Amino acid sequence: MGVENPAEVAKFIIRSRIADPLFVYSYFSQLPDSNYSKLKYIISSSVTEACNNSVLLLGPRGCGKTAVLELVLEDLLKEHPDMISVVKLNGLLHSDNNCALKEIARQVCMEHQLQFSKMASFDENSKFLLSILRECGLAHKTIVFVLEEFDLFTEGKQRLLYSLLDAMQSVLSQAVVVGVSCRLDADQLLEKRVRSRFSHRKLLFLSSPGEDFHRLAEHILLLPTDSRLPNDFRASFNEKLLNILAGEEFKRVVDQLCYSDSTVSHLLRFLFCAVCHMDLSSGSLSIKNFKSALPSIQRQPKQEALKDCSILQLHLLVCMKRLEVKEVELCNFNSIMKEYKRIRDSFETVDYYARNICLRAFEHLLQRGLVSFQDSRGQGQSAEFRPVKLLISWHELQQGLQSFPSCPTILHKLMAREG
Amino acid sequence: MPAFAALRQFPSSDPTSETIVAVTPRKTRLRSDSDAAIGSPLRKSPRLGKEGTPHSSPTASIRKCLKTSLNLSGSPQKKQLSEDFVERQNWNPRDETQRRAVNEALHVSTAQTNVVCRENEQNRILDFCKKCIKEEKAGSLYVCGCPGTGKTLSMEKVKVMLADWANEECIQYPDVLPINCTSLANMNDIFSKIFEQNHSGKKRSRYTSSLQQLQNLYSQQTPGMKMILVIADELDYLITRDRAVLHDLFMLTTLPFSKCILLGVANAIDLADRFIPKLRSLNCKPMVITFCAYSKDQIINILQERLRAVPYTVFQPQALELCARKVAAASGDMRKALAVCRSAIEILIGDSMLSSLDGTEDQHKPAENVSMSNQVRIDHVAAALSKVYKSPVVDTIISLPQHQQIILCSAVKLFRGGKKKDTTLGELNKYYVDVCKSTSIPPVGILELSSMCGVLDDQGILKLGQSRDDKLRRVTLKVDGADIVFALQGVRFFRNCLQ
Repeated sequence: MGVENPAEVAKFIIRSRIADPLFVYSYFSQLPDSNYSKLKYIISSSVTEACNNSVLLLGPRGCGKTAVLELVLEDLLKEHPDMISVVKLNGLLHSDNNCALKEIARQVCMEHQLQFSKMASFDENSKFLLSILRECGLAHKTIVFVLEEFDLFTEGKQRLLYSLLDAMQSVLSQAVVVGVSCRLDADQLLEKRVRSRFSHRKLLFLSSPGEDFHRLAEHILLLPTDSRLPNDFRASFNEKLLNILAGEEFKRVVDQLCYSDSTVSHLLRFLFCAVCHMDLSSGSLSIKNFKSALPSIQRQPKQEALKDCSILQLHLLVCMKRLEVKEVELCNFNSIMKEYKRIRDSFETVDYYARNICLRAFEHLLQRGLVSFQDSRGQGQSAEFRPVKLLISWHELQQGLQSFPSCPTILHKLMAREG
Repeated sequence: MPAFAALRQFPSSDPTSETIVAVTPRKTRLRSDSDAAIGSPLRKSPRLGKEGTPHSSPTASIRKCLKTSLNLSGSPQKKQLSEDFVERQNWNPRDETQRRAVNEALHVSTAQTNVVCRENEQNRILDFCKKCIKEEKAGSLYVCGCPGTGKTLSMEKVKVMLADWANEECIQYPDVLPINCTSLANMNDIFSKIFEQNHSGKKRSRYTSSLQQLQNLYSQQTPGMKMILVIADELDYLITRDRAVLHDLFMLTTLPFSKCILLGVANAIDLADRFIPKLRSLNCKPMVITFCAYSKDQIINILQERLRAVPYTVFQPQALELCARKVAAASGDMRKALAVCRSAIEILIGDSMLSSLDGTEDQHKPAENVSMSNQVRIDHVAAALSKVYKSPVVDTIISLPQHQQIILCSAVKLFRGGKKKDTTLGELNKYYVDVCKSTSIPPVGILELSSMCGVLDDQGILKLGQSRDDKLRRVTLKVDGADIVFALQGVRFFRNCLQ
């Protein structure tokens, strides 16, 4: 093989890091008071002290609850081999009691290489669960039950939760129940019996952007010393990167990114996009990459559709908007044409197009998704008579018109008058 | 019980208890202004000073009051307050075996040989069972109470006491069948279980159900049949719409030659009245024993009884009292009290780990203060209580991204005045755009607004309905508007907006 471009190698390294959640969240494992260390302490103390415990992980989607849990479990399996076994259930699949018990039995059998029978009845499965808990308690082996989408387990009579938590009340069993949910009031959904047996430990995964993100970006983007890149390339790459990350423009970009969504997964997508935009010839990341990644993350599909419209179509859209503002009862192609004629009569600069051309333009608007029929039933009628509605808001239309090159000023005037 | 009498002379007397009551945070309130007084960042609190004075004001005022009322001169309170604790050593939270022993003593699943504070109820149940067994008659008893009040624990104790008594009096001990009704796949299985327990020799006939067989059995005189004691836990799982199963179960004990003693356990106090009213007309209502929620003194007793198992002083007496008061005021649930104690110990251990990392001041501290700082203090218990009783809503709202906060702000404005309780997404969009315009942040389009509302719906802050048209989906706030106002008051823009 010839000499590889070090920039390509660097790009590859960084992209594979971003795609690996264990690497990303290992950053959080180094912080002293993070959720990672708290969770690890809870589970490891239950393992070493042989007591039962239950904990709930709460936070919005994409903030890393499952990833941190996986990290903790992996570390603990390395530290205490053969003392932990994990059973994973998901509320979307196993919220029914029978289904859940069967799945628990199947996973336990798989782990301990026992024979699993699909024909086992509900009674047999529950007896199996109790005996497994007892045996594991005697052998000082802890079972960790991971319940994802915990709030879905609380529907119905909550039998599974009750039987798991009740089994943990006895001294014979040794288990930890970890619930993962995105609903903040997940523990209020529990019945009072079940809530009394649950230990009220909650770990909140709150995303705080800003300097946290800064350090996370450094953790991911700085090239490691043990890669096969030449030293001087790596040093210059890292130095330029640190300069960018410390600058004001980067801060502005990150602020704008975090206005709508500040979870870790959103930020990771942004970094991935920025790295993909990296210019291979220059050999390093620049602030331009980050800036160009921003619009591709915060896409506005309607704006893109507006950009491709013709002037006639823009006229039609503005007519529809005016009809909407006037709160006309029925809005269909005929009424739009009437409005269009009215505008043509009052302003001479507006061009005249034949009706069938306008109809074709209208059908293109339908296909683009900027306009749609109000009801899906009237298939028999032709497109001229069916009521339609606009799918973009006033503000979006105005923004689109402003960014449209060579937009006739008459449209701006019409929009501004009503706005 | 002599041990408890000594504790009555404790100077947790009125002046100190009043101070504690004045500062104790009230029941679960979503607004964390009372919690702010407890000082939840106590976990990250820097090292305590050389005298061991904590930072937060309520505990400082408690300490001051205690000192003045007990006329101490800065020596640790434990010398005065607890005579029978003097001979106990102090524990070292960093020692693993000690920690493990304490955790085990405070764990819910640790079996207690000495079950305190429920002697009255246990004796009543025991007398009832003894009477039934002696006279060889059937009977039914219903035990009710909130979760965490010691019902199942007392049942276990009664079983043991009954076995001892039967041995002493040389009476035949009945068969005991404990059933947890949540583990029944089918409700009628309870009858087959009773039948199999009692008459494992007889085969189940295919044509009559177990219930009918039991009824047949109990309607005829069968000599030599053993009594059976059925303990049915979580009885309300057997409630169906026509209440047939529950009714038949209790009716089994009223049959002329029945040998079944039924002890039912559930949470509802009026289960017997509401669901089996026919029994009252037949004059065979079950005896009802209510397990009241634990009071503050009972909780303190139980905790001290548990801590007797370890030979060290772990808790300061005021800390135990704070925990007991708060839990008794909230629910009287013993499991919560134990959880709070374990949580407080963890906070203490965390603090001592932090201090060992800093490490400099240990040598300079006098010996008494080292021992005092090794016990669980009021501030630890207060932090643990706030963790258990605080809702995560305020913290989450503070850390939401800006657009989602604006959405919540516009929702609060929309629902202010109390007339409307829900609205459509289109309306919310209008208010949202207005709020954005007033601060020159560009508003996002309706699609993105709808997806952000979906994220808030996932978290349980809003509730979003379904509709064919996006703009017509109904939106309701599930969080109190006052909490949102409180959470957002730190940002000047929201403060002005929500005035």
